Amino acid sequence: MNIGLDVGSTTAKIVLLDNNEVIRSKVVSSHNWKELLDTGMDEYNIVSTGYFRKKVPHNAAITEITAASLGVRYHIPDAQVIVDIGGQDTKVIDLLNNRFMINDKCSAGTGAFLELAAHYFNIPVESLGRLHSRTQRSAQINNTCGVFAISEMISQLVAGYTMEEVIHGIHEAFAHRIAQMIPPVEQVVLIGGTVLNTGIVDAMEIILGSTVVIPPNPQIVNALGAALYKNKSIPFKNTDILEQNPR
Amino acid sequence: MTDTIGITALIPPELIYACGHRPLDVNNVVPESSLSPRSKLCAWTALWRELILTGSLDIDSLVVVAGGDCHNALVDGQKVALSGLPTHYFFYPFDTNLRYLYSQLESLEGFLGGIKDQEMFKYICGLKKKGLALEKQRVNDNARASDVFSALICFSDMQSNPYEFENLIDNIPHTEVEYSSRIALIGVPPIYPDFHKVAEEFGLHIVYDELPYEFIRLGGNDLQGLAKSYKNYSFAGPINNRINFINNELQKRRVDGVIHYTQFACHHTLEDEIFRDYLDYPFLTVQGDLPGPTPEQLKLRLEAFSEMLEIMA
Repeated sequence: MNIGLDVGSTTAKIVLLDNNEVIRSKVVSSHNWKELLDTGMDEYNIVSTGYFRKKVPHNAAITEITAASLGVRYHIPDAQVIVDIGGQDTKVIDLLNNRFMINDKCSAGTGAFLELAAHYFNIPVESLGRLHSRTQRSAQINNTCGVFAISEMISQLVAGYTMEEVIHGIHEAFAHRIAQMIPPVEQVVLIGGTVLNTGIVDAMEIILGSTVVIPPNPQIVNALGAALYKNKSIPFKNTDILEQNPR
Repeated sequence: MTDTIGITALIPPELIYACGHRPLDVNNVVPESSLSPRSKLCAWTALWRELILTGSLDIDSLVVVAGGDCHNALVDGQKVALSGLPTHYFFYPFDTNLRYLYSQLESLEGFLGGIKDQEMFKYICGLKKKGLALEKQRVNDNARASDVFSALICFSDMQSNPYEFENLIDNIPHTEVEYSSRIALIGVPPIYPDFHKVAEEFGLHIVYDELPYEFIRLGGNDLQGLAKSYKNYSFAGPINNRINFINNELQKRRVDGVIHYTQFACHHTLEDEIFRDYLDYPFLTVQGDLPGPTPEQLKLRLEAFSEMLEIMA
């Protein structure tokens, strides 16, 4: 049995894989990661990933980029670009060109931004998607800084926009921020707990103009990728890159 | 009288020594600095400016590379000049014009009081040959990149004492290096002093440091010789020349991937897209800001790049 353990900044996930089939998965908060490990689990079988990958039991530790590439290819073998929206950063992995970008200098395109917004409205972050769907009208929110966006939200409420319209605007600002990192492709795969927010998915589809695909259980894809690592799958396109760049 | 001459980018150190003075590359103290500069764009120039203005750097005059470096350096150099420190502005020609560069060197020689010791040209030339031998050593996997980089980066001023510096480079250990991928590091040098060591921890053997290599490959035994050589200083000229030069070096050194280090608010960051289009290698761009240990976010990028190269291989 192969075990993938993804302990990220906000949540910890585990996937148990037997004969390439997921037989169990679980998500808890990062600080409770120990709850994921049953007695009898052999450290030898664990491949870890995520921020805390080197702080938890493991036989091998891999970055979230490699884990995401493996996990997504399990469900979508012809994936082109993966966008992993995490609690503290967002990673864009271009599988066609073997490249990746990470946004971590600004919270505007990360889960932390949405938590900040939900905190301001005193609502659970899980309700953002539902509130987004109640309106088609958006309050325009600056998309350059997550912290300043909060003061802009307040200004828009003062100007008469509803909470739902402001949330709609937040999701669009979020999607614009991430879109700057994404190369133009036909299909984009979204993973990470944030994509459970349907408002984000709607905004991404509109702004990117690409087909947005979400694999089953997007929150555990990196843990799945870690579990697959022992199978030595090839996540990146193994071709001669000399053919791909212009001269 | 021997003066300490601060230099803000590559200025032929052999000329400064031949004029009887000692160069001090003001950038080389930046990575160890803990100052928080005010009015900052690029931390490199803001920090050397602050270090000079606060008296933490003991220099008698400053030579600012005003053409062929950046406008940040030009402005920060003028701020230093306004404080009363004797300052000279040096301009590399963009079009590699030999006569223009010769006239700039003549003017610099005048600022430095004229050549007094012709023999220093030959001595520095000998040191640079040792630098090239060190470079070969790491390309042949016989020296750690972190050791070689720490020596090569000091070739801009020979640590203000070429004789002691020679002793230092003679003692760089021969070490058989094990690694997973061979890397070229292009762009300005990382502001993090442990960058090369961190890369080594992830199995990345840096076999080419773009700017430090300029420090050892350029030289000359008189003004004419310096002008002929330094007109090819790749950082100061057209980017297509630089691309051709880099491509040639990458092939010679059999690199597996390229890391482009960029500095926050540095105009060289704009070159990233061009390099991505014209250097046909797996490519990672990283960015730094203030000096200190290599940040964890940057380590993640290096580790992921290493994994990607290993899997591709």
